[in-house]
Amino acid sequence: MGASKLIKGILIILVVLFFCNNSINAQVSDKVSNVQLGEAKEGQALDFRVELQQGASISNITLLYKTFGQTEYKEKEMLISGSVGTLQIPATDISLPYIEYYFRIESRDGAVETYPLGVPNEGAPFQVAVSAISPKDKEVLILSPNKGELVTLGDLFISISLMKATDNINPIATKLYLDDIDVTPMAMFAGELIILYPENFPGTISTGAHKLRVDLYNNLGELYHTLSSDFQVVTSQFAEAVASKFKYSGNIQGESRNEQYDDEVNWYNNVTLNFNSTYSDWDIDAYGYVTSEEKAYLQPQNRYSVSAKSDWLELKVGDSYPQMPDLIMAGKRIRGVSGALKFGFFNIEAAYGQTRRGIEGNLIELIPSTSNTLESDIIAVDSVRYGQPYARVDLGTYSRQLFAIRPSFGARENFQLGFSYLHGKADTESIVLGAQPKENVVLGTDLFVGLDDQRITFTGEVAASLLNEDISIGDFTDAQIDSVFGSDSYFDADPGMIKDIKNYLGNFITVNQYLGPLNPQEFASMAAEAAINLNYFNNNLRASYIYRGNEFNSFGQSYLRTDVKGINLTDRIRMFDNKVFLSVGYEKLEDNLQETKIATTSYETINTSISIFPRADFPNITIGFTHYKNNNGLSITDPDNQNYAVDDATNKFTASLSYEIEVGVKHSTSLSFLTSTREDNSLFNIDANYMSTSLSVNSYWNSDFTSYFSAVIYTSEIAGIEYNYSSISLGGKYRMLENKLELNASISPSFGDFERQAFDFTGEYFIYENFSLMLQARLYRIPDQSTNSIFGLMTRIGL
Amino acid sequence: MKSKIKYSFITMLISFVMISILAGFIIEPDDTPVALIKKVVKDVTYRLDSDSDVWEDAKAGIPLKDGHEVKTGFKSLALVLFTDGSGVLRVRENSVLQIYGEKEENRFDKNTYIDKGEVGFEVTKQEDEEFKFTTPTVVASIRGTAGYVGVNDDSSTTIMCSHGMIELNALLGQRQSSSVSGGSTARIGTDGGINVSVSSGDEQKTFEASQQTETKKIRIRTNKGDLEIEYIPESE
Repeated sequence: MGASKLIKGILIILVVLFFCNNSINAQVSDKVSNVQLGEAKEGQALDFRVELQQGASISNITLLYKTFGQTEYKEKEMLISGSVGTLQIPATDISLPYIEYYFRIESRDGAVETYPLGVPNEGAPFQVAVSAISPKDKEVLILSPNKGELVTLGDLFISISLMKATDNINPIATKLYLDDIDVTPMAMFAGELIILYPENFPGTISTGAHKLRVDLYNNLGELYHTLSSDFQVVTSQFAEAVASKFKYSGNIQGESRNEQYDDEVNWYNNVTLNFNSTYSDWDIDAYGYVTSEEKAYLQPQNRYSVSAKSDWLELKVGDSYPQMPDLIMAGKRIRGVSGALKFGFFNIEAAYGQTRRGIEGNLIELIPSTSNTLESDIIAVDSVRYGQPYARVDLGTYSRQLFAIRPSFGARENFQLGFSYLHGKADTESIVLGAQPKENVVLGTDLFVGLDDQRITFTGEVAASLLNEDISIGDFTDAQIDSVFGSDSYFDADPGMIKDIKNYLGNFITVNQYLGPLNPQEFASMAAEAAINLNYFNNNLRASYIYRGNEFNSFGQSYLRTDVKGINLTDRIRMFDNKVFLSVGYEKLEDNLQETKIATTSYETINTSISIFPRADFPNITIGFTHYKNNNGLSITDPDNQNYAVDDATNKFTASLSYEIEVGVKHSTSLSFLTSTREDNSLFNIDANYMSTSLSVNSYWNSDFTSYFSAVIYTSEIAGIEYNYSSISLGGKYRMLENKLELNASISPSFGDFERQAFDFTGEYFIYENFSLMLQARLYRIPDQSTNSIFGLMTRIGL
Repeated sequence: MKSKIKYSFITMLISFVMISILAGFIIEPDDTPVALIKKVVKDVTYRLDSDSDVWEDAKAGIPLKDGHEVKTGFKSLALVLFTDGSGVLRVRENSVLQIYGEKEENRFDKNTYIDKGEVGFEVTKQEDEEFKFTTPTVVASIRGTAGYVGVNDDSSTTIMCSHGMIELNALLGQRQSSSVSGGSTARIGTDGGINVSVSSGDEQKTFEASQQTETKKIRIRTNKGDLEIEYIPESE
């Protein structure tokens, strides 16, 4: 026993030393100060929270994420409130072994950057290891109280059932811990049932939140599994209020913030309202965010919505992010109405509203017809109004309305067939000084078939789009068709047929010379994907094929990679009682589907990963290796095409481990390592090598004090330019005055090529249980350059 | 030294008495209960044996073993939880039921005999195990569904199925067999006939009421302290 512990200890030290001897990864940004994630567990929704350094200068943050082997990132716009962006990604998107993610940040001035910088091309995304759900969880049933249950002391009893436990479990060796205090001696063991009646031990449990832990031991006396739960003991008055048919909760938060960045000083104010309620089977929620940053010359910064949801109806008015098949609509904000009717055998989802509002352009100068009018910022204007026929302008933005509908048949348990239609159109009357208002129509269908309790699933989706790049001139007239088409005209086509097509298509979209695609017979505006999933013998095998024509376009999608086709194969294998997960993936894609490029580039990716969850006194480990290879067959010695040659290969190695150590108190530690080497054989020779190592330790000293420490070392060389830095962060959270005051402070200096000292402080004082004041201060000093600051005062009232 | 021994002895004695009291429910070490009473509203009693005349007051946490019986009074409610996590029963007012369970290796078969009254149920998907309701007129086998079982004064039975499917075997007269699926209700008469039709609005309301466990309280302040009365509100 002693020897095995020694070996285990040596192994842990070796692993830690191995990682500590390498260097890398810390992320620098003048936009993001901190990213926080919830627990990434298979099949559980995951919360993201981004703290911004200059919240008011940012108009939009999008989270892009993908799971192992996925071809492309999914996008979701984050909800910005003051200097914080939040988002939850659904449980269905969380799978082993890890999730890669990054943020796209759009500034008010139109600049776009990613965090970490340079993703997905030069930079590497973040990676979070996803832990597995243990089948052992099912062996322990916490019968009472339920997880998260609110219960009065009079109704409280704790009951654990081991009826589902395997024979090698020793029920009477089970240990019960309440808030980390061993309460096993108070429990009664009745066969495979354990019961604890707190009323027999007055004073053991007080009102408030409690954590329950169950440690299971096998017949050899070794710890077999641990399961945790939580519940709240409340007063009978509180329980009664919660149990009433109409339940509600909410809060109002007001913030006033001063930001000084270089020589610029700004005050920002905002108010956020959150209201959640349930009545019988209905959930009724409201959200409002009003900020002093709402300006007529920007896209909306305020957000508001009211929603009602039941088993069969979902309705949302205001700002929403409707989700339909990915090719049609995903993650796009709409201000209007969206909802769904769900009857099981027949369902219908729909959304209607504005995706962008009209913002008038600015007149720079008037231009006479005698001048050159071919520049992109010169447009025709009303000569009666302006005195000249043309003007140079800062182009405005047309408002855009969007309507999408998807009727579907089947409840998606075994079968669902859906049909989607989307129409988006710029309002040409919304502004005067703009150019090229657009219109878009997308038609699609999707199919889901699930067999053998969804161990076999087939999903397929096909969509085709039409895009009119400029509807400002309206439809073709019959006279225009007669003048352009005909055997003696520019195009040898029957004018009658063209008129028929125009009359038919004109019901859906404006028909003129800007309507595309021009080559529909080449499937240029078609997109399709199909996938089959097989879940047998601890293997989760997925094979998929995608096709995206180079002109496919949907206004319901912020970004979709087009001009690509290929296959993707992944297999996730569960081994050793779900303690080890081996994942392998292969993807081969190519572009130039409509032969619009000089050469066809192939993109080949090989992905492997192994995750180990020992569920014992040893770290959880995830190790991954990815190889990317891109080549278009052109040679750098070819004098005509050498500039277009693509020939690069990247090897990326990642490792992360997390471990909970008991040294006096509990410390949650994690260590991650990433190294990437890109060999670019193109004419540009943009070789890129970087390494990053980060270590974090969260220590729970007592219920009032938590400390955290993190360190990051990053080295890179991109196209011969080195960039190296290291950063540490040290902070703590302390509660005092009977939990009325919570103080949080951290200091984070960075050294090397990125030199900065950051100091963060927040203090929150609860005047009443539901009313608090918070002071926030952040200082950023960049030596020999500037000292920037953010001071904010927040008040929060719970309803 | 003597006083220490005396003190230890008294402590042990008190502990022993306390454990005996809290195990007032007398649990034998190797005898795993079939179910637990999770919640009690107003008048709920139980007895260990149908031959016994003694009905004891039930409270939250009482374990129910094979053959134990539960009775609810006027405007009362009991929530019963099976210890294998397979389901929950909401025993409505004026009901009497008996809980049976038999464990064989990894199989745990449950049977609930409803003598009278109304019981709402929610049963998780059963693999190879049995989950049955028995009334004087029918045996209903459940695989995984929700619904309610009502036994009328003449012993005729109404079984409403919210989703999934329930197999039915009448016990009297014609001894018909049938099944009832989601959104339907079966009426089993004393003649052994089974009549299945789409659930009526009233039956749907009864089902919704059978799922309700939330209660309200009236608090009366007196100069001798507060008096609290818990009750189940009428369904709308």
